[in-house]
Amino acid sequence: MVTEEEIERVSKLMKIDVDDHKEYVDKVQSMINYFDILDSAGVESEEITMHEIPVSSLREDEHIPFNGKLIEKLNNYKGTYVRAPKMS
Amino acid sequence: MNLKISALEYVQQVQNGNISAEDFISKTLEQINKVDEKLHAFLSINDDAVNQARVIDKKIKSGDKVGSCFGMPISIKDNMCIKGSKTTCGSKMLENFIAPYDATVVSKLKQQDAIFIGKVNLDEFAMGLTTEFSAFGPSKNPWNPEFVPGGSSGGSAVSVSAFECLMSLGSDTGGSVRNPASFCSVVGYKPTYGLISRYGLISYANSIEQIGPLTRTVKDTAFMLNMISGLDPNDNTTINDKNGDYLLDIDAGIEGKKIGIIKEMMAEGTDPAVLSATNDAIAKLESLGAICEEISIGMVKYSVAAYYTITATEAGSNLARYDNIRYGYDFPVEGYEFNSYISKARKNFGPEVIRRMIIGGFVPSAGHAGKYFLKAMKVKSKLTKEIDEAFKKFDFLIAPTVPILPFKLGEKIDDPVALFLIDINTVTANLTGKPAISIPFSISNGLPIGIQLFADSNNDKSLLQAAYALEQTVKLPEVPI
Repeated sequence: MVTEEEIERVSKLMKIDVDDHKEYVDKVQSMINYFDILDSAGVESEEITMHEIPVSSLREDEHIPFNGKLIEKLNNYKGTYVRAPKMS
Repeated sequence: MNLKISALEYVQQVQNGNISAEDFISKTLEQINKVDEKLHAFLSINDDAVNQARVIDKKIKSGDKVGSCFGMPISIKDNMCIKGSKTTCGSKMLENFIAPYDATVVSKLKQQDAIFIGKVNLDEFAMGLTTEFSAFGPSKNPWNPEFVPGGSSGGSAVSVSAFECLMSLGSDTGGSVRNPASFCSVVGYKPTYGLISRYGLISYANSIEQIGPLTRTVKDTAFMLNMISGLDPNDNTTINDKNGDYLLDIDAGIEGKKIGIIKEMMAEGTDPAVLSATNDAIAKLESLGAICEEISIGMVKYSVAAYYTITATEAGSNLARYDNIRYGYDFPVEGYEFNSYISKARKNFGPEVIRRMIIGGFVPSAGHAGKYFLKAMKVKSKLTKEIDEAFKKFDFLIAPTVPILPFKLGEKIDDPVALFLIDINTVTANLTGKPAISIPFSISNGLPIGIQLFADSNNDKSLLQAAYALEQTVKLPEVPI
């Protein structure tokens, strides 16, 4: 059973600041509790299979210029930089 | 002019000179004006559509080469980029975002002279199955506007069903094309993973999501796949499409084909009307010469929990980019500390996205990954093995697309676990990468029921042949709009 404190800690880590905290905690708790069904799947010894793409199948690692001046479309663009909030 | 035709019928009529692209587009815009206030399929309309149609008509008249779409109106789910147009993803976070490039599917359709009539509604960031989580309000089911149209590609399904376009593109992460297709009585297709490029699709859960068509007929789906499938250097998960022409031999039939009936997808909790429709579909397939037998796929029971664990994890990572600093809504950065700015800005995410981001932070975290994320990945692996094993014996698998009928707006919005379980029959195709299609099959108490067929990876063409065979056995009433 996931606790309210654990959910609050994760919310902070995910940079999520919500007003109606209790409402989120209750619903997230019920969703995560449903995942407990995975415990009875009997898959402990199962290998996780991954789909691998060899480097040779990837496109060439080369610069492809983007048409249009994308940077000028950004918010908070100040001519030579993007203005961000202060780091404390 | 009759808007109630298929995309292929449209092509034929334009080629014969019976209709012009301009007339059809104008009439389609009239239809949108007439019905969309009630149905809310569209988030934005292409103001230049009539002019674009005139250009195509001119090309047709002067005998210039014209693309296969001949100016047909197509709607696009608002999580795919069309250069220079708004792409909101159904979210206040991207309310003013103008896409700086075209998605690959969009470029391919532009080359074929399609006209994007508008961008259509979805659950925010494609997270949901009713469109009720759209920041811009829900879409309504054309069969009965008090009911949900399904989701997350609900706007796509509504726009095709209500004659507001000829075809639509949606995206399917756990059933988001097939579920609304079933609820609105249109064809919905989730291709083999990698068949269609995801470049320009706003990411939710990259490892399993695919773009897919919603159309009026199976043949139209084949027509769309001919235009948009194939390798793309901008998406290295795309596969070489060796199916050839999807329309060729679509009427090959299913005589002698073996079809597995997935027991766990017709289990307790399935609506009796849905169960009865599925049994009717099985009987019809048998009458066409298919051999149907029950099969058990044990991992289906755990598939929804695995699906939500994996997708929330990928979403938690994908949505980390929405810090509102480089793009996003108008919220000045001055006077804020970095982290508190991002936390405040992210309040513009809706409740379902916030819940899934919290889950996405929790299930793969140190101390919890073994219980949740890694176990979910193991379920995914075992489910894939079970399905691969099934396809050694069967050509296709069958199940209802959704275990229940469309339900009323607001009925399940406060019960996230009840909503989870509606995905039970659709997530398997995503977790295993297999192609699956929802075919309109029946109407019960005025509400549609779709039947789902699955095939093995890269057998998209034979899946369409089976779907076409089933479709030919069905005659449904017209949508009452």
